This record gives sequence, C-alpha cells and structure tokens, in this order.
Amino acid sequence: MDKSSTQRLPPLKRTWWLKHGFFKLYMLREATVLPLLFFTFCLLAGMFALLQGAESWQGWIAFMGSPIVLVLNLLALAASLFHAATFFVLFPRVMPLRIAGHSLPDQVIVAGQWAGVVAVALLFFWLLGRA
Amino acid sequence: MEKIAISKHKQAFDEPLWWGLFSAGGVCFAVFLPAVILFIAILLPLGLLPAEALSYERASKLLFSVPGFLFVGAVVCLPLFHAAHRLRHGMFDISVGNDALNKKLMYGGAALLSMVALGLVVIGMLG
Amino acid sequence: MSTEQITAKRVSTNNIGTNNISTKNISTKHISVKRYLPDNSTESYWQAYDLPVDDSTSLLDALNHIKEQLDSTLSYRWSCRMAICGSCGVMVNGIPKLGCKTFLRDYEGDIRIEPLAHFPVQRDLVVDMEIFLEHLAAVKPYLIDDNPVKAFDPQAPETYRQTPEQLERYKQFANCINCGLCYSACPQFGLNPEFLGPAAITLAHRYNLDSRDHGKKQRMAELNRHEGVWSCTFVGFCSKVCPKHVDPAAAVNQGKVEAAKHTLIALFKG
Repeated sequence: MDKSSTQRLPPLKRTWWLKHGFFKLYMLREATVLPLLFFTFCLLAGMFALLQGAESWQGWIAFMGSPIVLVLNLLALAASLFHAATFFVLFPRVMPLRIAGHSLPDQVIVAGQWAGVVAVALLFFWLLGRA
Repeated sequence: MEKIAISKHKQAFDEPLWWGLFSAGGVCFAVFLPAVILFIAILLPLGLLPAEALSYERASKLLFSVPGFLFVGAVVCLPLFHAAHRLRHGMFDISVGNDALNKKLMYGGAALLSMVALGLVVIGMLG
Repeated sequence: MSTEQITAKRVSTNNIGTNNISTKNISTKHISVKRYLPDNSTESYWQAYDLPVDDSTSLLDALNHIKEQLDSTLSYRWSCRMAICGSCGVMVNGIPKLGCKTFLRDYEGDIRIEPLAHFPVQRDLVVDMEIFLEHLAAVKPYLIDDNPVKAFDPQAPETYRQTPEQLERYKQFANCINCGLCYSACPQFGLNPEFLGPAAITLAHRYNLDSRDHGKKQRMAELNRHEGVWSCTFVGFCSKVCPKHVDPAAAVNQGKVEAAKHTLIALFKG
C-alpha cells in the first residue's frame, strides 16, 4: 500500500454526536445523570436539615415544594425512567441469562426489571403512603 | 506449561472497579430512584402523603438506622458513582479535559460525597 | 466476442432496464460522491452524477454504472455484490452501509456517498484499513490449544467434538464479514483509533466462547486495558449498522464482564 498518498485523518469534531439522531439519544441517555445529581444534592441537603432539627426539616420540605425545585425534580423523575428504559434493554445483551439450557428471551429480562421498579414503588407506598 | 500473555500494554486493573460501581449504581438509579423521587421530591412537598408519613420524628427514625444506612448507600452513593462514570466518559466524548485527571475528579468527588452522606447517617444514629 | 458484444453484455448485467424497459420503472437519481484524487489535489471535493435507476438498483450497481458509463476515474472497492465479502462499505448520507445492500429506491432527494468514516482516505471511496487489520490480529483470532505438545497421528486423527449447543454460544459472533462498518459507526474508535474496536473484540469473544479454544487468558491482556474493552461506552451504533446482525456491542460488553471476572480472580490470586 502506498501510504504516502494517504490523506491525513482529521480528528473527530466534538460535535460528532449532533450528526445523527442515534447519537443524540445516546447523549441524552448519558445526560440523565445531571438531573439525578440535582436530586442527590437535594437529598443531601435534606439529610443535613434532618440532623439540624424539626424546623430545618420543615424548611427543607418547603424548599422542595418551590416551583423551580419541583420542576427540576420532575425532570429527575423523567430522567430516572428514561435511564431505566435504556438500561433495562442493555442488560440482556451484557449478561444473557440461561435457565435449563435455554436462554431467557430479552423481553422477559426487561419485564422482570420493570417488575422490580413497580415492587419498589409498592414498598414505598406501604412505608409512606398509608395513614 | 502455561503460556504467559506477553503484551506491550499494561492491563487496566482499576477499570473493572469503576465499571462495576457504574453498573451497580445504574441498577439502583433505575430500580430505586423513580419511587424515591416520586415520593420524596413530588408527593411529600405537595402534601400528598399522609400527615405523619415523613414527619421529623418518623423521617429521623427511618433514616438514622441500619436500614437507613443501606438506603443511603443504594440511593445516594452507588448512583453517585454511576453519575461519575458517565460524566467522566462524557467528558472524553466531547473532548473536555484529560481522562486521567477527570477520573480523579469524578471518582474522587463521588467517593467524597458518598462518605459525607454515609457520615451524616452515622452522626444521626449516634446523636 | 466483439467489443460491442462485450459492452452490450456489461450494460445489460447492470440491470438498469435497457432491455426490458416496459417492465421496469426507470427514474433518475442524483448521487453526490466525495472525490479525492491525491495526484491532482490535496483537497477532496464533491462530484454529482445523474443516472437511470429502477426498483432493483443497488448503490453498488450505481457505482458500477458511473464507472463504466460516466466517469472511469472513480475508485471504490467491491467484490461479491451479495453482502458476504465485506469489501464495499461506504457512508450513505452519513451512515455506514454496504453498497451492495443499499437500495436507491429507499432514498429520496440527494444521496451523498463518502468513504468509510474514521479511516484515512487513500483515493475516492478507498480507505486504508490497516489499523483495522492490526486490531484483528492483535486479539489472536485462532483456536489456541492448551496442550500443544501432542503428536499428530495420521492413523488416528483426533478431531474436535462440539455439540450444537456449544456452537450456539458463539455462532452469532462468528458471522462477522470484516466489513469495518462498525468502526465507522463507533465514535470511540473515531475519537481514538488505538481502541481495538467492535469487530476485533467480538472476534476475541467469539474464540473465548468457543469450546475448542483455551486461549482466553492469552487474549485477556489485550482486552483488559483502556484501549481494549474499557473504551466502549455502549453507544450501540455498531450493532445497528452491522449488515450480518452480529451485535458487536453485546460482545464487547460481555467482554467487560469477562475482564472484570478475570481482574477479580487475579486480585485474589495475589
């Protein structure tokens, strides 16, 4: 091969992911950690407030009820669900499960994971939702 | 006779750790966080939970305990490492900074915040 | 055969309806090709062609028509024209595809053809695949025996035995035709050509899963490093563009599980 005539390869532009919907979805998937981080900081603030006493705790709940915080945490909720949807379909490809010599179909593994999400929600309802 | 793999490259024995934490954090983020965010960040501030469900007394009792410690581990610490891993690789994807430094910043930050979170629970348990 | 007869035969095998005009829907499509002729200029440029197509015209048919009827200076690779040799990979409107498996009936408006992304361009649509071949070789893509000192007895030749279940474990990953589309799809390879890449890691995984092979440990040093499996962020576009449905993304990420297990064992062994 005559390498001297080979064109130099320009480095990939940092906007490479804007070129195709698939890559934009990938970046959106990765970006779900940003709303998660916001909620995590809210939780940490809540833990601090709880340590400081009842008044701080009520103050924190009021803070969590302010419109901007509510909207951002709604975004965090949406992000967690979008993350779950994308994460669950990757699992059977990373760790195909076999039972009795047959591989479990992907839909079963995905459904099982969503069942876990529902189970946790039911647990929270049992813990916090009953009078 | 066992053949020893001779490679001019060193193996990256730390990467499985970050990836493992990312995976565990990803499971927690996907399975636990939706319910946690719904109940604590939406229903609670909107007053849609029963009155004493997360009062100061009940919240303290629930959080500052061994189950509370595990809860924070699953809902704060592991997702923090998940976020750190995604941010580190995300920065590489958009050519921001230098990966070696970003690893230290991201995983170090996650470790620090995790210790703070778990430390808060311990302080609450002791108080 | 006379020259006219040879020409007539070649034109009719292009299948662009010169013989059976009444049965084929002939239309015109506009194709733009990224040209690069290093002997003439250091810059690449777009060149447009209008050509007759029908419902069956593949991109490869179109390129062959361009070369034979319109512009003989165009360079590109092709061979089997049936998606098994892996030669004719190009970018079609920014997506890596095989020319023989891309049908112009699926495209409205302008069709932009460029050489496979992330590889150095040698001329027109011909890219330098050397790095790809190096990565393939680096993973030791052959059956490795852990008991090599076995005399071969022609009177009683030993053969491998493998059940259909054992074959099933790696068969999908063995279907790779080395076309390189996954490398053009992979942004991590685009960002860092030192990354082993989807096909090479899939090939390593194919051998690691093969019951006849005992070379997993020998391949591990190549896989368990940053430019091995750990560069992958499961974008998954490689699997999307793979013409043989190999699912390299699955193989690479299963490779991460294996590398993690290996690291854990190595830690315990001290």
